[in-house]
Amino acid sequence: MNWQAMALTAELASLASLILMLVGIPLALWLAYSRRSWKFLAESVVALPIVLPPTVMGFYLLFAFGSDSEFGRWYQHITGSTLAFTFKGLVIASVLYSLPFAINPMVAGFRSVDQKLVAAARTLGASKFKVYSQVVLPLAWPSVVTGLVLSFAHSVGEFGVVLMVGGNISGTTRTLSIDIYDQVEALNYHSANLTALTLLVFSSLLLCIVYGLNQKLLVWGSR
Amino acid sequence: MSVVKVQIRKTFASTRRQPFSLEIQFSSPAGVTVLFGHSGSGKTTVLQCIAGLLAPDSGSISIAGQTLYDSARGLDHPAQVRRVGYVFQDLALFPHMSVARNVAFGVRVKGAEKQQLVQGVLERFGIASLANHRPAEISGGERQRVALARALVTQPRILLLDEPFSGLDDELKHGIIADLKRWLTDAGIPALFVTHDRDEARALGDRVLLLKTGRIAGEGGVQETVHAKSA
Repeated sequence: MNWQAMALTAELASLASLILMLVGIPLALWLAYSRRSWKFLAESVVALPIVLPPTVMGFYLLFAFGSDSEFGRWYQHITGSTLAFTFKGLVIASVLYSLPFAINPMVAGFRSVDQKLVAAARTLGASKFKVYSQVVLPLAWPSVVTGLVLSFAHSVGEFGVVLMVGGNISGTTRTLSIDIYDQVEALNYHSANLTALTLLVFSSLLLCIVYGLNQKLLVWGSR
Repeated sequence: MSVVKVQIRKTFASTRRQPFSLEIQFSSPAGVTVLFGHSGSGKTTVLQCIAGLLAPDSGSISIAGQTLYDSARGLDHPAQVRRVGYVFQDLALFPHMSVARNVAFGVRVKGAEKQQLVQGVLERFGIASLANHRPAEISGGERQRVALARALVTQPRILLLDEPFSGLDDELKHGIIADLKRWLTDAGIPALFVTHDRDEARALGDRVLLLKTGRIAGEGGVQETVHAKSA
């Protein structure tokens, strides 16, 4: 087992999930409740990673992070280095690639909250922040947790985007899925199997958590 | 003196049915005014427009001398600043909060003063012993009292009641209606009460506005107007 790759993967997935929680909740609330006519465009952009081949997304992110793009040059000017083949670049790529896996369950959860409760809160003088933080979020929390768990699991298992954006640098960008690929390439099947089995058990456990939470949500809703 | 002045137009486009158009004008004094009519006559739409939950196409709404909506002046106060109490048909109690937290939700003061105010209201509405229960754990009649307490504790300019007693048996209903009438009189809060139940209208109302397909078809005292409608 490559413990360094495991620690790096855990750090990457945790950071990506944390950022997705901070960015994802407001974005999901907006997608759930906004009546803007162009909202479908934002929904399409958020959902793009579901249908886009990882290599395509990885290719464009690699280009964007490099010194050939405006953004890449601007970032290099500010920080003195590029984002390509770095852990930071990997975190940004993971956030973008896992965005729909976090957002979609959250949006569904927010939309399932009875709008009469939102209306009641408004007539009681609640600001938008109070409505969201004290009524909508507490009622939809299993969906928020589901979104974060799915995005965490998705970040752990990423391969194509990670390889394109981060390459395979030990201790910096070599995650567990890249490590399995390396071990298979080296015909080291026993070690590959151990890592793969660990990921299989881990993913199964996460799915149990997700479905358990959804069941709790259904029970809650029927009360 | 008129406490409520409403003059609104609102059209709902529909692809399947005839478009529904609401066009009403009324003013009502203090006390309880009943909006009486069949389902689909526009009663709830009127309440939603007054509460700021639905925007009329045009017109004006003022409560107790304060203009809440005036299309000519481009004035449209959002629901959260209108200070209009609303009791929904299904009550819309927050299921994840205790009775005490439901009642405290709209209270603006903080700390010990808030606690004292909420406790006083819980006692006045006879629900103090349920303070720590969730809505799912109490009876239908108790839930009605919680919903009324939650709306009235905020000292609203007006209380809007959207058929809140429809799920109760007669004995329970008349007990709550008698209490509500007393609470409204004590607090000096006017109310608009939507119903299609003649007994409810007689029990709570001081006067009646009769609604028919989005228009006011009659108005007057409860006995004569409701009797004329049923005749």
